[in-house]
Amino acid sequence: MDGVSQGIQEPFDLVRLSLNERVFVKLRGDRQLTGVLHAYDGHMNLILSDVEETIMIVEPLDGASDVPSTVKVAKRNMEMLFVRGDGVILVSPPSRT
Amino acid sequence: MASQILPLELIDKCIGSRIWVVMKTEREFTGTLLGFDDFVNMVLEDVTEYEITPEGRKSTKLGQTLLNGNNICILVPGSSGPEDV
Amino acid sequence: MDDDSPPPPPASPPPPPSGPSGAPGSPTDFLKGVVGKKVVVRLTSGVDYRGILSCLDGYMNIALEQTEEHVNGRVTNRYGDAFIRGNNVLYISAAEPL
Repeated sequence: MDGVSQGIQEPFDLVRLSLNERVFVKLRGDRQLTGVLHAYDGHMNLILSDVEETIMIVEPLDGASDVPSTVKVAKRNMEMLFVRGDGVILVSPPSRT
Repeated sequence: MASQILPLELIDKCIGSRIWVVMKTEREFTGTLLGFDDFVNMVLEDVTEYEITPEGRKSTKLGQTLLNGNNICILVPGSSGPEDV
Repeated sequence: MDDDSPPPPPASPPPPPSGPSGAPGSPTDFLKGVVGKKVVVRLTSGVDYRGILSCLDGYMNIALEQTEEHVNGRVTNRYGDAFIRGNNVLYISAAEPL
């Protein structure tokens, strides 16, 4: 057996153990959310509450500068929302150490 | 008369040989084919990944790698990749 | 677990590990070998996650531990645990000898 944290047999266990906890969710389109996870399903559809959404808006300067061009960060708050699973890239539970 | 070899039979014959994998995007891999499954997920060894970055062409060496079949477009058996053509 | 019990876990039958299981060199066989090891998971977007592979399922959904997110060679985030949805995965590569 692998020496991993308490009883994670499949990836969804990680999400199950985060129910009613604040999680970090990375979405397609340079968005990320933090919120309290209330429900999820096998598609990774999520219900989150007390959500802060952070949107990175990259405004490329013309020319191929490899240095990050101007990145605007927009934030907004939502009381309760549904996330469609296909937009989810990553879910990270609160670090349990 | 239809050819009596299935596409994946050919790939099966490549196990143990070098193979060049071209993805749907501008990304390519070469490596020694260790195995694959019905989704054409592939296990490769001694892998080189080729990609186009803002800085130009870049290649990365990788160890044993499971490549997701989802984004694979073309397989070229016996080829050592872009440098070979 | 009396009040406030969490909603039931979703029924998500992961497809069986693909292919005739465990033929040497097969994806299933590779995955058996890398669980618990250091891996690099590259997404189709080019973002890399380096960490210890806790487990994964037939969709290539992945649980990683001690994860570092790398974008253009720079560490951009760290996660104690991370669930990565499988559709984003380009490859899983062993980052230590198997």
